[in-house]
Amino acid sequence: MEKLSQEKKNKLKKQQHLEQKMQRIVKEKPLGQSKGSKSSLMATGTSHKIISSAAKKSKADMKLSDKIYAAASSTTAVAAATSAKAAVAPKAPKPKQKDSKSKVSDKKAAKRATTEGKVKVKDEDLANVAELKQRLNQQGQDWTSLSTTDSPQDGSKGSLCGDIQLSIRSYLEACVFVGDIERSQSFLLSQHRVMSRRKYLTTDVYNIMMRVWAKRGMLNQIGRIFILLEEAGLKPNAGSYSAALECMGRQQNCSPKVIWRCLNKMREDGLSVDDLFSQCVFRQDERDMLLRAIHTVKPDYEPSLSLNASQCSSPLVQDFYTKREHHTYPKLDFTQEELQERFKRQLSVEEACTVTIDSVEGLKPITENMAKMREMLAEQRAQWHKVLLQALRESKMILAKTNTKAYKLDLYPYLCLLEDKEYVDIMIQSVTNMPPSGESLKILARDVGNRIYTKYCVRQKHQNQTVEKLGSIYDAYTDLLAKDTKVYNVLPREQWCKLEMEQHSGPTLQGGETTWPYILILELGTFIVDIMVKNLKINSDILNPAYDRKLIPILYHMYTFRSTRQVGFIKPHPILTQMQQEAMETKLTFDSSVMPMLCPPVPWTSVKFGAYLLTPAKLMRTLDGAMQHEELLEKCENLHPVFDSLNQLGNCAWRINKPILDIIISIFNERGSEKLDIPPPLSEAPKIPHFHPQDPTYTASEKAHMKREVINAKKKCSEMHSLRMDALYKLSIAHRMRDELFWFPHNMDFRGRTYPCPPYFNHLGSDVTRAMLVFAEGKPLGPKGLDWLKIHLVNLTGLKKRSSLQGRLEYGNSIIEDILDSADDPLNGKKWWMEADEPWQALACCMEIANAVRSPDPTKFISHFPVHQDGSCNGLQHYAALGRDVIGATSVNLVPCEVPQDVYSSVAQQVEELRARDAAKGLKIAQVLEGFISRKVVKQTVMTVVYGVTRYGGRLQIEKRLKEIDEFPKNHVWDASHYLVRLVFNGLKEMFTGTREIQDWLTESARLISKSGHTVEWVTPLGLPIIQPYHRTRNQVLKSTMQHINLQISHDAKERPDTVKQKNAFPPNFIHSLDSTHMMLTSLHCYSAGLTFVSVHDCFWTHALTVDTMNKICREQFVALHSQPILDELSNFLLHKYCSTIQTEARTKKYQEYRRLLLLLGKVPQTGEQETG
Amino acid sequence: MSTQIYRALELMLRSSCCQTIRRRSCLRNAVLAPTACVPGGPVFPKRAYSLDSLGPGRPSLGHSLHHPGSERTSPSSALVHRNLSAAAVQGQFRPLCRYDYLDLGEVEENVRRAQACKKTRHFIVDPDLANAVAQHLGPDLQDSKSVIFECNPGPGVLTRALLNAGAQRVVALEGDKTFLPDLQEMEERLDGQLEVLHCDYFRLDPIGSGSVKAPTMFTDKLFTDLGISEAAWTDDVPVKVVGILPQRNERGMLLKTVYALFERLSVFRYGRIELNLFISEKEYRKLVSPPGEMRYYRAFGVLWQMACDIELLHKEPWESFIVSSRQSVPSSKGKFPNDHLCLVRLRPRADLFSAGLTPSNASTLLMMVKQCLAKRKVKLIDRLNLWSPDSGSKLLSELGLPEDILTGNVYPAEYLRLFQLMDKSQEFTQSWLYEEILENTQREGWG
Repeated sequence: MEKLSQEKKNKLKKQQHLEQKMQRIVKEKPLGQSKGSKSSLMATGTSHKIISSAAKKSKADMKLSDKIYAAASSTTAVAAATSAKAAVAPKAPKPKQKDSKSKVSDKKAAKRATTEGKVKVKDEDLANVAELKQRLNQQGQDWTSLSTTDSPQDGSKGSLCGDIQLSIRSYLEACVFVGDIERSQSFLLSQHRVMSRRKYLTTDVYNIMMRVWAKRGMLNQIGRIFILLEEAGLKPNAGSYSAALECMGRQQNCSPKVIWRCLNKMREDGLSVDDLFSQCVFRQDERDMLLRAIHTVKPDYEPSLSLNASQCSSPLVQDFYTKREHHTYPKLDFTQEELQERFKRQLSVEEACTVTIDSVEGLKPITENMAKMREMLAEQRAQWHKVLLQALRESKMILAKTNTKAYKLDLYPYLCLLEDKEYVDIMIQSVTNMPPSGESLKILARDVGNRIYTKYCVRQKHQNQTVEKLGSIYDAYTDLLAKDTKVYNVLPREQWCKLEMEQHSGPTLQGGETTWPYILILELGTFIVDIMVKNLKINSDILNPAYDRKLIPILYHMYTFRSTRQVGFIKPHPILTQMQQEAMETKLTFDSSVMPMLCPPVPWTSVKFGAYLLTPAKLMRTLDGAMQHEELLEKCENLHPVFDSLNQLGNCAWRINKPILDIIISIFNERGSEKLDIPPPLSEAPKIPHFHPQDPTYTASEKAHMKREVINAKKKCSEMHSLRMDALYKLSIAHRMRDELFWFPHNMDFRGRTYPCPPYFNHLGSDVTRAMLVFAEGKPLGPKGLDWLKIHLVNLTGLKKRSSLQGRLEYGNSIIEDILDSADDPLNGKKWWMEADEPWQALACCMEIANAVRSPDPTKFISHFPVHQDGSCNGLQHYAALGRDVIGATSVNLVPCEVPQDVYSSVAQQVEELRARDAAKGLKIAQVLEGFISRKVVKQTVMTVVYGVTRYGGRLQIEKRLKEIDEFPKNHVWDASHYLVRLVFNGLKEMFTGTREIQDWLTESARLISKSGHTVEWVTPLGLPIIQPYHRTRNQVLKSTMQHINLQISHDAKERPDTVKQKNAFPPNFIHSLDSTHMMLTSLHCYSAGLTFVSVHDCFWTHALTVDTMNKICREQFVALHSQPILDELSNFLLHKYCSTIQTEARTKKYQEYRRLLLLLGKVPQTGEQETG
Repeated sequence: MSTQIYRALELMLRSSCCQTIRRRSCLRNAVLAPTACVPGGPVFPKRAYSLDSLGPGRPSLGHSLHHPGSERTSPSSALVHRNLSAAAVQGQFRPLCRYDYLDLGEVEENVRRAQACKKTRHFIVDPDLANAVAQHLGPDLQDSKSVIFECNPGPGVLTRALLNAGAQRVVALEGDKTFLPDLQEMEERLDGQLEVLHCDYFRLDPIGSGSVKAPTMFTDKLFTDLGISEAAWTDDVPVKVVGILPQRNERGMLLKTVYALFERLSVFRYGRIELNLFISEKEYRKLVSPPGEMRYYRAFGVLWQMACDIELLHKEPWESFIVSSRQSVPSSKGKFPNDHLCLVRLRPRADLFSAGLTPSNASTLLMMVKQCLAKRKVKLIDRLNLWSPDSGSKLLSELGLPEDILTGNVYPAEYLRLFQLMDKSQEFTQSWLYEEILENTQREGWG
């Protein structure tokens, strides 16, 4: 306190000094004149008042807002000016009047305060606020350099009319793509002419048309568009000039005068020739033509290109990027030629867009019925194909004729993007993959729409002639990866960028394709589905000749009802389902992106480029139609560590563990096994009882009972079907890949957690899929590798959770007989592996151990087997580290201990103690629970508490566990779960004192931020910007002929934030963003150490040989991460982001809210002692 | 040409007929309703107390050991004596009987108590309004054998009004504990005409799992405790429910109720329970909207109109009710005005389950109606053909409906007829429509 008041006195002195200065200025300058500079006006205006107040009143009576300004001005005049500017800037889009108004009221408020002096705020708060403001000012300059800190209004302005703009662009581009110049020109003109629509047009939209004319060398048309631009009040940008110059380049004898004029005009608009080359996206030969035009006037011009080499500002990775001499980046175990070969194969897969593979069910012997059904289906499909083709052509014709208004956005151009046949193929594919219980229209339409979009993107790449260039760059790129080439000390991304720069002629690879708005994808999809529903028919007597022959539709549109809502569904007719099920077709058709890649993925080099070769992929997975993440990422200057980490994960090559795959397939094609998680076929499903509801012999209660039976049986069947199909897809993909080496390209969710892109088959899957995968690369076990394999096996069993590593190893050695037996005779032996928590991975591990111990020298045994290292309750670890909470940290293994601590057991133990006490006191439920409290009962709840599970959810979890215990009296389940969840929550609160506090601070911050009308945003220590996409729901209705689809959009950044979601989700999302940061850091450093590394969120995989190294890196990076002042930085960021708009009307509610937010954000929870281990 | 004119004429006739009928009944009520209020004070009839007039299933009072009030001497034997002695010993405690007029209480006091309620609820506090409602439940409340369930009485103004009007047996189901002591005190002062239970009528029969604690309850427990046994559908109305439908989930509650009605689940297991509910004007208008009103003629209204005689008893502006929250009067965004709460009588039709409809096949009817009216501007014949190809025109001609009739122009009664025809036909039982029902019956409206 003393210190504070001292500080304040100092400040006051400074103020007075400054104020006097200011007063002089004010006197010199009449108020009216200084209007030119807003900032000085503000500063002077307020400080003028302060003088009188300081003279009259004691400082405690001083008004808060004055205080803030005083503090602000006390730093330096410059800082004050910047702060004032910052305060004004976000308001810029609003009319200026408001600014002046606020200034006036500001002055009034100041006057009132000085005369009345009623507002008394605690000294301490005052000081806090002042201090915080100062902090803000000081950091102001740092932050403004980061483009991510744009004011929220600015951010939302971009997406204000985002959907409409995107629609217009997509439409125009589609017209251009199909070569319908007439349509595109008249469309643009009509949009331009209607004032209400003109406001949606941007320069880039006009540029699309310019490009078209440039290709045709029609300079006069381009000139016209320049006039249109001016009419619309827009400025030509680099794209416009590039098109104009390109056009000049194409003309055989364009006079240099024209070109000079263009270049001069360009300079007037503040653009240099280099800007054209660095900012524009070129297609086909556009770049060369542009250069030709420039060469006519500047014969020796060469575009000077600089590699975007800005270094990452995060101190966490500074060394990683600057000190590389000891790095040994891993090479892939392939020759360059092999990699180039693989690239060609992958390219051909992606060009086809779909891939047809053998189903593992096809391995079964063919029965007569199967053959018959297959034949029938094939016949029908041929028929349907014809019908659909006809129908599509007709509806296209109708569309083309009916749209007479040029400004209307219709679907016609979108139906011309592909060959008619390709649309029909997509339709047939949808019919084949239709689940028997149907699919909601919305999902079906989205899938169909997305398929069309993907194909269109691939075709665009062909048209732009990027494929060839991609090939040549990729070929050069393989030099970095292959084992038979020189050693590089650059990262894949850096190499790729360098290559792209070297091979600059021709099209740019990142061909600015416009992503279609979600609504368009749905509209197009619905249109296609409508054609399917209307035209696909089958004879009703095809399976049962006893029925009358009628042509019945195979798909029908109906509604299911959820509460008061109705959901449109497309269902297959039972006849179709029966045919498809009985045919057990041998082929499965997928989108090509479902398959793992056959060559290393293209490294992520920008937000829009990476992963697959041609198939579009998103860097960040988002809700359909959510744009805010992408906007934020695009503004972000340096995402290099994030890109590099994703590239590292994607570069890991895999292969199939064939012995395991064969065993799984054999069980799958037999009768499945629920115990081993191999879904049985539908033939094993319970028979659906048959009864006639009209039968009078049943009583009412019997009927009700049977009805329930039927419902249950049906539910079970549809569940089984979906599980079975999921397994079928996974196994078939694995089967297809059995002799291949393959890669999983990676992307991330909005919190930075990474995922492989292929959806069905990847290493994130269940026990079954994980067991099927091993690293393609083998490494010798080394001295400790075998031990790690054994420990890994014991971990997979789920036993010995509280034993030390040594203890686990000893246990592993003691059961070596069982291990060898399982490996040798998995299905008929003692079946030890089947009892493990993760049986299939355990079996795979048994086999690996058996092979290793039987090899002549186990240390030299080449192992491909991934060994996993789990984080123990990751969320709690991060909280404990954030709070520097020693006791908490010990129980989650952050503090080195002899025996691994098991937080779940500790909590269980504590809960048990409390229970015993209550039981002794005579609490009934505590007595009932005697002997039932175990690690298992509390585990899930403990784990999820950190991720924000509520008492309600926690109770449900515990209830589920209690129900699983057969001996536990069922009538007590509800009470007991209520009681237990309370104990668990209290127990955790006691054990992790810091955790709760941090969690509460995060929650409260999010609540106030959201209340003030903003969405919560933050930046991870690696610089990844994160925004929570939770907003109030907006309803958008898509009107199609079939039905109106109501879209409930909850991520629209224009809507006010959903406070409950923003607040509840912030702590878990923040922790997830930290654990993803930790994973990325670990992955980067493992890469520089030459390790193979992949992750399943908080579980890290590597070879047995390198487990120790990986563990070391993992720990080091954890310490490094938490040595950063993470919470302070978060606090600073939030303060700057949400409090830099200085609120001055002190009495208003708004100011009070602002003040509360300011104080809260500045008050980082107290942490325990700094500790380094 | 001529057929078209004929068809147009027919349509016009059809819709105008219905409109006039409905208009008339609405109008009469709207006009008559306010006059039913008796401003000069309640009229309470004096009539001899007779056991016969008690509701059905009433625990036989003479020897009811399990009844909570059984400690009191049974009124049948003690009544005369009690009244005599009460008259003799003035001022001493005696159970009040139906001869005594119950004071409805100070309005201010009742308002204060109602507003203390933590949940958002509407309360009847105005004595005139309470009396008017009581009159509507009549007219001869003292002769009626129906038990009256009063939902969430709160300060108990309507309860008293009902008793004053001569109700033989009122069961006050109060979901909020804070109102219970006062109600129970009243229960004790009375002579068995009133029973108070901690139970929220609108939370009967919860769907989820977990232990069921008061005020949540299962219907069978409620009815068994009250000693009301299942009655045949065609019997008289055993229970009249009166209350204000909670505003929070008005539509959901009404849907849930109508599904239960058709399948005779929940309270409807016990017979034709008559509902007298205050619902918002907007929802009422939707409930009774006639065919042709394409926007609001939905499955919701059709099913109610099919199942019940719907009568608007009274309209009262929102302001007459006391609300226990700061929320103001709900705004009406839609086409319909929403200035009132409407007291609506929903009396299930005695002949509902005849001619083919049974509680067990009713779920198919529900599904059929909902499928048909998901869109109102489609042709009925297309829907029918979707379920069973080529049978549409046959069915329509049997019903005497034009071929091109839209689903939104078909009357509730015609839907019922349509269903009965379909249910008889062999073709439709093969249809997927039947499968669908089985699959979705648990979910629809109960989620």
